[in-house]
Amino acid sequence: MTRSTRIFMSCIYWAFVLYVFVPLILMVLMGFKDSKFIGFPITSWTLDWYVGVFEDAEILSTFGYSVAIAVLSTAISVVVGTWIAVVLEGRKFWGRAAMFGMTILPALVPGIISAIAFRIYARALGIEPGMGAIVWAHAVHNVPFVVLVVMARLSTLPKSQIEAARDLGADPFVAFLRITVPYLVPAIIGASIFCLLLSFDDFVRSFFLGGYEPTLPVLIFAKLRSGMSPEINAIATVALVLTAVVGVWAERFTRRTNKEA
Amino acid sequence: MSQDVAAAGRRRDAVSGSDGSPVFWGRLIASAPYRALMALIGTSPTRQFVLLAALPVLWVLTQHLGPMLQMLRVSFTDAYPVAVGAEQNFTFDNYLRFFGDSIFWMPFFRTLTFAAVFTFCTLIITYPVAYFLARHVSPKNRMLMLLLLLIPFWVGEIVRTYAIMILLGNTGAVNLALRTLGLIDRPIPFMYTSFSMGAGIVYLTALYMLLPLYSALEKLPKSLNEAAADLGAGAWTRFRRVTLPMTLEGISSGCTLVFLISTGFYATPVLLGGPSTTVFAETIAGFFHVAGDEWPTGAAFATIMFFAALVITFAFQRVMKALRKGDS
Repeated sequence: MTRSTRIFMSCIYWAFVLYVFVPLILMVLMGFKDSKFIGFPITSWTLDWYVGVFEDAEILSTFGYSVAIAVLSTAISVVVGTWIAVVLEGRKFWGRAAMFGMTILPALVPGIISAIAFRIYARALGIEPGMGAIVWAHAVHNVPFVVLVVMARLSTLPKSQIEAARDLGADPFVAFLRITVPYLVPAIIGASIFCLLLSFDDFVRSFFLGGYEPTLPVLIFAKLRSGMSPEINAIATVALVLTAVVGVWAERFTRRTNKEA
Repeated sequence: MSQDVAAAGRRRDAVSGSDGSPVFWGRLIASAPYRALMALIGTSPTRQFVLLAALPVLWVLTQHLGPMLQMLRVSFTDAYPVAVGAEQNFTFDNYLRFFGDSIFWMPFFRTLTFAAVFTFCTLIITYPVAYFLARHVSPKNRMLMLLLLLIPFWVGEIVRTYAIMILLGNTGAVNLALRTLGLIDRPIPFMYTSFSMGAGIVYLTALYMLLPLYSALEKLPKSLNEAAADLGAGAWTRFRRVTLPMTLEGISSGCTLVFLISTGFYATPVLLGGPSTTVFAETIAGFFHVAGDEWPTGAAFATIMFFAALVITFAFQRVMKALRKGDS
């Protein structure tokens, strides 16, 4: 590989870095613009839009609503997903491949179709649009990700540890609680954070299953349809900082625990 | 079971404290409710497994498969939700409606074409990046440089779509830069075209292409390329005959993911696209904003879209498999 190709390749990488970062940086900057009109150049700066976000009760309650939905749906996804993973990874059984296929189905259905299917099914189940419906749809949609992460971790669990626990008097259930569950904790934490972010960022399911109260992405979408304003930038920036910080922390956490394991 | 506990107690172990007395777990095993529960579950491994698997199987059938089956069922009816006193009849009309009007099938074919084109663009853009990371960067820096790229992808769909709107607007950064450089007099109307939509969708899906490509390229032994070079192959030949065939699997899974995701976007085309770029997701959504009797048509259209996406993905994977076999 010649030197010039290497330089050329690294230029491509840094151009890609620019492509993924510049739009977000510009969006953040625009939230500091002292004018109602979105557009460059920015001549004077202000913090008013951010102050406005934290003074607006509606926006703050939307934040709380989105976080509550994320936490509740993640709790369901993690319990169900771990349970499914234990069954799938446990032993061979008839229909295992079919069950695995059905398990990851919600992750493969394109967004709009998944939202529509949930909307129709919610009506069949008698779930009214609103928080319950969103929590349910997010929970089902996120289960496959938990299953995949937990299954990957389970497959590396040394069977000898379970056998040792059994030899020492633990029955299968206690062995599961005392050996398997602690071993799974890093995977479960990683999967939880991934689910939290998926739920917090989700638009299409929240949009079709929501009632009158919007989640944060739905609120931003609604505001965008009635016109761009630096206020939206300020809201979006707060959401961005929240998700990026949680995401980076999770990434570091999983890497650390993977190294230890 | 009590024998087990006694044995456990003597051995300082999983269920006992250091002084040999049963701790929480030992007491739990010995407690009456727990033993009653275990007696109910029984000792047969098959019985235990069936009890363990019952709930997950039920969940997967009712929650994962259920919504799709219900959508399929509703798509063959003439009314949903059924009005009080009315009857629900079986019908193919919802599907026939799709072929009857170009206002329906135009967005459908547009969506599939766009998804294919955007997937290809994503592949072209991310392949060199993945290649550079996997082959040219030292393993120590590799993880950091990959992590750097992951950060923006933690940010949600709507926020990133909005970022693209700001970038490409008439008073956006790109137009400002071009004007400052003196390349244009009037702003170029990037927004509300298939270009702005493509920029947004590639932006949203790039990671799902990058990661499979990266792991495929990382697994590729360097020695293969060196052997090819020893045999006199030039850089382009080495890429075409060694690297590309060996990473077809990564390309295949990346493209499948990105294609499926691209067909499902709703908010991004609404915000970044214009009247001439209406995608099928918007058509489907339209049936759910109005009165309930349009739901079956929406369900039928969503079903058509789902099966079309599945068929294309399967066909694509078959072709990729054939290519892989043909090369080896």
